[in-house]
Formats: sequence, structure tokens, C-alpha cells
Amino acid sequence: MKFLIEIAGASVVVIAAILVLPRFLELFALINATVYISMAVLALSLALVWGFGGILCFGQAAFFGLGGYSYAVAAINFGDTTYAIPVAIAVPALMAAALGYVMFYGRISDVYMGAITLTLTLILFNFVNSTAGDQWRIGAAPLGGFNGIPSTPPLNLPGDPGNPLPPESIFAIAAISLLLCYILAKFILRARFGRVIVAIRENERRAELLGYDARAYKLGIFVIGGAMAGLSGMLFANCVFVSPTMFSLFYSGQIIIWVMVGGLGTLVGPVIGAILLNFFTTWAGTLPDINPSLILGAILMLAVLVVPRGVLPSLTTLLGRLRGAGDAPGDAA
Amino acid sequence: MDLVFAIGFQVMSGVATLLITSLGLAIIFGMMRVINLAHGEFLMLGAYAAILSAREGLNIWISMLVVAPLVVGGIGFVVERFIIRRLYGRMIDTMLATWGLSLALIGAVTMVFGNTVAGFSAPLGSFAIGGFTASAYALFLIFAAVVLLGGTWAILRFTAFGLLARGTMQNAEMASALGVSPDRVYAATFAAGSAVSGLAGALIAPFSGVVPTMGAAFIAKSFITVITGGAAMLAGTFSASSLLGTVSTLGTFATTPVFGEVMMLAVAIVLLRLLPQGITGRFFRRAL
Amino acid sequence: MTALLATEHLTMRFGGVVAVDDVDLNVADGELRCLIGPNGAGKSTLFKCLTGQIKPSAGRILWRGRDITGLESFEIARLGVGIKTQVPSLFDGLTVLESVRLALRREARERVARARAMATLEQLGIADLAQHATALLAHGQRQLVELAMVVAPAPDLIILDEPTAGMSAEETARAAHVIRALNASHAIIVVEHDMPFIRAIAKKVTVLHQGRVLMEDDVASVLADRRVQDVYLGKAADASLKVIA
Repeated sequence: MKFLIEIAGASVVVIAAILVLPRFLELFALINATVYISMAVLALSLALVWGFGGILCFGQAAFFGLGGYSYAVAAINFGDTTYAIPVAIAVPALMAAALGYVMFYGRISDVYMGAITLTLTLILFNFVNSTAGDQWRIGAAPLGGFNGIPSTPPLNLPGDPGNPLPPESIFAIAAISLLLCYILAKFILRARFGRVIVAIRENERRAELLGYDARAYKLGIFVIGGAMAGLSGMLFANCVFVSPTMFSLFYSGQIIIWVMVGGLGTLVGPVIGAILLNFFTTWAGTLPDINPSLILGAILMLAVLVVPRGVLPSLTTLLGRLRGAGDAPGDAA
Repeated sequence: MDLVFAIGFQVMSGVATLLITSLGLAIIFGMMRVINLAHGEFLMLGAYAAILSAREGLNIWISMLVVAPLVVGGIGFVVERFIIRRLYGRMIDTMLATWGLSLALIGAVTMVFGNTVAGFSAPLGSFAIGGFTASAYALFLIFAAVVLLGGTWAILRFTAFGLLARGTMQNAEMASALGVSPDRVYAATFAAGSAVSGLAGALIAPFSGVVPTMGAAFIAKSFITVITGGAAMLAGTFSASSLLGTVSTLGTFATTPVFGEVMMLAVAIVLLRLLPQGITGRFFRRAL
Repeated sequence: MTALLATEHLTMRFGGVVAVDDVDLNVADGELRCLIGPNGAGKSTLFKCLTGQIKPSAGRILWRGRDITGLESFEIARLGVGIKTQVPSLFDGLTVLESVRLALRREARERVARARAMATLEQLGIADLAQHATALLAHGQRQLVELAMVVAPAPDLIILDEPTAGMSAEETARAAHVIRALNASHAIIVVEHDMPFIRAIAKKVTVLHQGRVLMEDDVASVLADRRVQDVYLGKAADASLKVIA
């Protein structure tokens, strides 16, 4: 029952946003809102992998960037963006499968996983940065080095590449993608697969002693997270264009911050965390002499030191206590 | 013949750079089981400390070899006091908090000095062997790596502080029962490791250029070198940076720098698959 | 007849130390076997080999005659082996019922699985804990919850590592009762060193000493054996052994 109410609630919020926001927001603000939504999808992907799967992935930005670049390259080559969408999801998913296979089947510990995912992200960053010049092209698409691909085409209606979709439609597509990802995540967690994932996070050895192959389950959630991050990269590419910063440590760090602030082990928390923090950094970016990195870094340090359970869950607990409600909403998803 | 010399020299200076830039992280990880993800920014701060004091007219060698480690060691002391100390035993949280510190330092330095590349040219000029010319400063870096490694080993092996530190590392409770304050040992260790990072940043500055974001180029390589090395921090860092430095330099030589990095990561992953405890989990276990 | 679980020349070395040395073990279907030995006799290493947590240096482990040496823990569990660890190993973020339901891995029908999980909890007398969070349970209750997870999928063999560790005399007596009852439908291997407990449950006992099998016989003969008294209990414990025997 609670499950259905949560899904219905999320649907209402998203549909209301699609109907209302484009009427009130100026074009620039609407595009910004679309960027925030793509970030929310990215936060959701790490919420699944880290918050529920317990997998410390420092390189979610790698899948985000791969998704964006795969979309741009495929769309330029196909001439139509329709089939570029599955490519943007499949390429990061395959990458996650290969990397996850090495890490989980090698039974590598948390710290090593952090080191490997971080290094992979930096290598991709360096690689894409080094692709300036005409010899670096995939089919018709030049990779463009540190300039990225400014000609990233926006989505079009299937079979009608001459007609790129207006920002209002892309906003709606992004919002619906977020909703679908959220519903998918809810279903995954409700299904047996998701409950085994949580059990493995709680106690991997016990899960194995009960006959569950923890490696396969972790690989599964890691691939789903990679695919979702790829989708978010595709949405992002539609608002801006793809460039190597998508692979940067700054992005990797931000994703961790959204999830950390939103709370590990919840889905809505990181989504709200991503949207609020993006508003906040955009606003802070307009202040003179304040660097957004400084603020984000300070937030992450404070979150770890003061409220390791996550800012939003701690706030809800606090509010609950103020209202006199006894139960801590610890397992809210 | 000259080519062999040239490649050999490149490999040695690649290994030396990796060793210098990893040692500070290795000391902190080896002694305290803390991964300092702001390590790259400690290098950056060392580079800035050196370049700014040199601009103020201080002798370049004093700026690099004295001012940089002192400044960053002091910063490390403060960081330990206010962040690391609250998170002992929570490895993941320490990584997250120091990542936050890393972002904050990049932001703060950008605000103060701007996002532009500063630099100073390598002192010492160049030398020639046969038809092959190399930077004398690169030779100095190799020498510095040897001195740093040997010096750290000697401090741990022969001094009273080294004994205290090794004792605390083995068994903090026992050490504290014997009247050693683990808090102080950890504070001193973190400051010392930070000082080494600061020195490293100053030493590589002439090659790498000085920007607020320069740390990103080093953190992943240092991180992977340290965990590939395993528990024995000096033997581990030495063996891992020798192996990975050689691989990445030869890879770079054969193709491009990015491919060199890919080779390095691939070798590190294969090694971790074969030796989950790192190189010194299997070999040189009794080494420091 | 093929043994349910057997080891052949099983050996585990750590560096220069031989923790398990050429052990041959045969456990039949429906049997209740105790593995005893002083600290350092190799009991827990043998337990880890049998449960797939470490791979033996030499020798074979056979399940109904099939070589299962070197299988992963989860593969051994899937053969029909239930494993209870010394310190209860639970899913602290889940409720008792959810935990036991997860143990019924092969039952995909949610309603059936929940009913079976409930039945197991009732059998062990902890049905009232079903909705409790495992993290908040007392030690004795945690032991029972883990036992419920082990028993629920009806394994052919249950391996228990020091099931009475940290239990009071009264709890130990109840555990002995539970294990005897379980033996009606499962083969059981108990790794233990609590003598009164072994006396209460065991039929056949294997004594390990310095990694080797010292002797294997019924419980009365083992406890009466001079060598066992010497190596296992030492002189200080002679008195207590005489009281038991």
C-alpha cells in the first residue's frame, strides 16, 4: 500500500512539474531545470549502487560521461537520435559489466574498489581531453578533445531528424525518465533481487552461507546503476553538450555529496539532494568571489562529520520528534 | 646505445616521480590506515608554498626543500586535529571527508590565486651523455626519491619517534598502556606525511606547472600505487612505484601518455587480483 | 554406502604451520557427529575448509561422493548444507521474518515462503519475534534467529560452529534439546569444546589434536580414553572430566 502511495505521489509531482514549470520558467531556467533533473537521475543511480548495494563507487561520473559521449557520437553518425538512446544506455552498462566483473569476481575490498573506480574515471578524463585534432573521430563524430562535441544534436521525434524537439519537450522527457527510473528502482528493491542486494549489504558472508552468489547480485545492481547513469548523461547532453568535464573529479565528488546529503539507503533523499544542491551551487556561482568547489567540499566534510546518516533523513527524524511522532523514518525509501 | 640510456633515464625519473608523489599518502595509509583523498591538494599546496616564497625573493632551494614541507606539514597538523581525529576507524568516512577537503581546497586556492597556470623553470639546466641530453633536474628528482625513501626508513628504524610510531602502528592499545599517547603519534605521523606530500608538490612543480587543480593528476596514481604496494609502506611504495612507474613510462614511450596510464591501471588490477593484500602482503612482509 | 560428507587427506597449511594435517572424515546421512579438540587443534580451520571459506592446500572434500573441494561458500550452501557460525551472523537491517524468508532461497512464491518462514519460527519458539528488527535482539535470541535461517530450507546437513558459545547452563541444555530434535531430520556436525554439552548430544565423536585425528569413537569411549584426557583437558581439568564421565 505504502509502495503504491509513494509511486502515485512521485507521479503526481512529476506530472505537475511537466504541466506547470514550462509556463512559468524562462527558456534558460527551463534548460537549467532539465539539467537538474538529469543530475537527479544520476543521483538515483548511485543511491542504488552505494546506498542499497553498499558498493563504494567513486567513478559514477565515468558512466555519466560515457552515456553522454555515446549518445553524441551515435546521434551524429546515425543522423537520427532515436537509436542513439539505447546506445547511450548500453555502452556504460557494458563498461560497468566489465569493470564490475573484475572487481566483484576478484573479491576486491572497498578501498581498492574506490581506487580502481577513481582511477578509471581519471583515465577517461585524460583520454577524452587528449582527443583534440582530426585523427580522433568515431565515424562522422569528432571527439574534440577538451572542447567536447558542441554539435551534440538534441533529441528528435523518431524518424524525423530535421525536427529537433523544443526545450519544453526535452524537459518533459527528462522528468518522465526520472519518474520511470524511480519506479524501476522501487520495483527492484521490492522484488527478491533487491531484498537480496540489501541483505548482502548488511552481511555478505551470511548471504553466501544461505546460498546467494553475492558477486552476481552486486554485478547486477552495478550494471543497472551504470545504465541509469548513462541515461542521465544522455539527458545532460541534450541540455548542454558533451565535454570532458563530465568525467571530472568534480562531478564524481558531487554525486557522492548528493547521495551523502540525501541519505544512504533512501531513493527520494538523493534525488532531492541533487536538485537542491544544484540550485544552491548555481546560486552560489552567481556570488562574486565564491567558488562552488569550496562550498561543495565544505558541505561534504560537514555531512560526514556532523550527520553521517544524511542531512535529509536527520532532518525528517528531527521534524518527527518535534511533532511528537515516535517512529524514526529510518527505512523510508 | 643512446636510446637505451634515454629510455632507462626516462623510466628512472618516471619511477622517482611516482615514488615522491606517493610517499606522503603511503606514510599516512601505512601508519594510520587512513586514505587521504586530499593528498593531491597537499601536493598543490606545497607547490604554491614554494612558488610564492620564491617570488618573495627567497632562495629557490630553501623555498622548495624547507618552506613547502613546513607549510603543508602545519596544514596537515590542523587537518588531523579537526577532521581525521574524529573519524579514526571509519575508513570510508575518512575518505569522504578528505574528498570534501580536497574540493574545498581547490575552491579556496582558486579564489585566492585564480585558475591560471603559474610555474617556474627547472633549476640546474641540462647535462649530456654521448648524444643524449637530459635535464639535470630530473637527475636531482631521482636522487631526491632515494634520499626521501632512505631518510624515512632511517627515521622509522633508528629514532625514538620511529620506534613509537611503529609500536603504535602494531598495537595502539598496548602502546597507550605503556604510556605512549596514540593521539600524539597519529598527529605527528599525519603532519609528517603531509610534510612529505608538500615537499613532493614543490619538487614536481617545475615539471607539472602549478594550478589549483593539479592534484587530480596525481591522486589516482598515488592511491593505486599505495594500495598495490600493500601493508609495508616503504617496501610497498618502492616496489609498486618501480613496477607501475616502469609500465606507465614504457607505455607512454611506446604510444601516448593516456595509454601509459591505461597500462598502469591494467597492471594494478591484475596484481590486485593475484595479490589481494598488495605486493607486500606476499613478498617482503617483514619490511617496513 | 557413500558418505554424505567425507574428506580425504585434507590438509591446510599457513606458511610453515600445518593447521589441518591429513584428515579423513566420514559423516553418514542422518548422523550426529561432534568434532572436538583443544584450542589450536584445527577445528575452526577444518570448519572453514568444509564451508568453503578457505581452500585447502591438499586433499579432497566429497559430498555424496562428488568432489566439492574449492567450491565457493554459496555453492556449498546450495548443495543442501546449512552453516551456523560461532558469532551469530545476521542481517541487522532486516526483520526476523525477512531474514528467514531470504533463507528460503529456492521458494519463489512469496506467500508460501512467508508461511514456511513463520512455521520455522514457531518450531523454534520465536514466532513472537517475527516483526522485530534483528539488530535489537538479545544474544540468545540472535542465536535462535540464525538457527532458524539455517534450518528453514531443510538442509541435508547442518554444520554448527560452537553453538553454545556465550550461553548459560540453562540455555545450553535447551540448545542440546533442540539439536537432538533437529537430528531427527538432518545430519549434523557440531564443532564444540563444551564437555557436558557433547555428552548430552553426541553419539560419535572425532577428536582433533595438532591438526590430526587423534581418535574417533562413541562418546563414552572417547571421554574414557587416557590420551584424550591428556591432550584435550590437561591435568587441571582431569577432575571435571571424571565428574562427567
